[in-house]
Amino acid sequence: MPGWLSKERIIASPGFNRWLAPPAALAIHLSIGMAYGLSVFWLPLSHAIGVTAAAPGDWKVSTLGWTFSLGIVFLGLSAAVFGRWVEREGPRKAGVVAACCWGGGFLVAAGGVHFHNIWLLYLGLGIIGGCGLGLGYISPVSTLIRWFPDRRGMATGMAIMGFGGGAMIGSPLANLLMNHFKTATSVGVEETFATLGLIYFVAMLAGAFGYRLPPPGWKPAGWTPREARTMITSRQVHVGQAWRTPQFWLLWTVLCMNVSAGIGVINMASPMLQEVFGGRLIGAAGALQDLTGAQKTEVATIGAGFAALLSLFNIGGRICWASLSDYVGRQRTYVLFFAFGIVLYALAPHAGRLGSVPLFVGIFCIILTMYGGGFATIPAYLADLFGTQHVGAIHGRLLTAWSTAGVLGPVLVNYIREYEIGRGVPAAGAYNTTMYILAGLLVIGFVANALVRPVSEQVFMSDAQLAEERRLAHESGSRT
Amino acid sequence: MSETARPAERGSWLMVLIAWALVGLPLAWGVYRTLLTAVKLFR
Repeated sequence: MPGWLSKERIIASPGFNRWLAPPAALAIHLSIGMAYGLSVFWLPLSHAIGVTAAAPGDWKVSTLGWTFSLGIVFLGLSAAVFGRWVEREGPRKAGVVAACCWGGGFLVAAGGVHFHNIWLLYLGLGIIGGCGLGLGYISPVSTLIRWFPDRRGMATGMAIMGFGGGAMIGSPLANLLMNHFKTATSVGVEETFATLGLIYFVAMLAGAFGYRLPPPGWKPAGWTPREARTMITSRQVHVGQAWRTPQFWLLWTVLCMNVSAGIGVINMASPMLQEVFGGRLIGAAGALQDLTGAQKTEVATIGAGFAALLSLFNIGGRICWASLSDYVGRQRTYVLFFAFGIVLYALAPHAGRLGSVPLFVGIFCIILTMYGGGFATIPAYLADLFGTQHVGAIHGRLLTAWSTAGVLGPVLVNYIREYEIGRGVPAAGAYNTTMYILAGLLVIGFVANALVRPVSEQVFMSDAQLAEERRLAHESGSRT
Repeated sequence: MSETARPAERGSWLMVLIAWALVGLPLAWGVYRTLLTAVKLFR
């Protein structure tokens, strides 16, 4: 008898409104998107023992920062390893497991704070939570693509926009909770972790139980699939075969380069603004190092505003670019990302030299839309090339590119900057070479994208293989 | 939705509205808080 979580139990009844699918996906992605906001805990946790100031035995911010890196690595690994399981068992079971991992990870991390054990923190939010990120991230992809065959990009863009927006809710909420729970002897992080864990667990369960799958062969009323085009197949590639194709690795390179460059920019945008423009940001003369403490605080506030503005453009780009890709095609969308990106990355240092804050800010805002758009458009690109049967699992394997970029981007930015400053380049000018190198990454991405061609005929599953895969995936269930 | 929509369809769209409100309102709150921070750039 199928359980509550099984795929057979979540086949939608006739008349089910497909617009209920994106909010279910958003409930999960908005929850796991808090991964981007974890840094809000690092400063309070860096004086968890001393409470008002760091005391002997307190963790360093750099030590705490590894939690995020671990989380992103395990996101990629779990998505790659468990992608096929997610496809077979369905989004509801995957969503429930993701809720247990992400919510439970916060509870384990609360234990880590309680016992002041960094390994428990790494285990909770890095490893267990990271697996929740991976499973939660890919859980709605194939479901949304099947509900919106006419607007694949928009559908996955909505969910992935949620991942970008999660920290916008989670960070201020975490600050409110920490202020509520803090006492003379506690910074309030332990209780905040426990509360957030429960909130995310409930929200993700609600999303998981909201998932419905379209019946086999379902299509939107009045919509007829267009003739198969060269870059959009109507056939299916097995995940075990897909990752052996050059197309998979070209798209892996596309995602890795786009994300590496984007992460690099996110890391340095705010300090770059402050160091390049210095006192000009507040109408004062002089470089950043010449300002008074109060002036530096004022400049830092403007830097924080810049970072917030970028996060808005990041999530806006996810839905806008992914939706646009439904009309202009995925390959052309990435051509736009890389072509504009190369120009904008190379222009940024000139905007700094010109002293134009609006130009500088505008360039970075557009860059961030393309960073977010790159994430949001890739599932539809995969579905176009490899079909929809295993797209979630294929997407899971492709996310290892994100894990790689999560290390590559920041390392490139930090080491190049240190090298430049070591050579005697002024702090304000040390970013220029970095921007040109990041533009170089985009050139690699541009070439990889240009080389993408439809997969060859022998890669597709035969009718018998496809029937067997559909049987394994329980794709003939009852309706709820 | 038209005046002649069937009850089941009206219920379906009501569910859609509620579901989107449940995710949209927290997101709107987050965007509003982020905008409050972002405007400091333009002061």
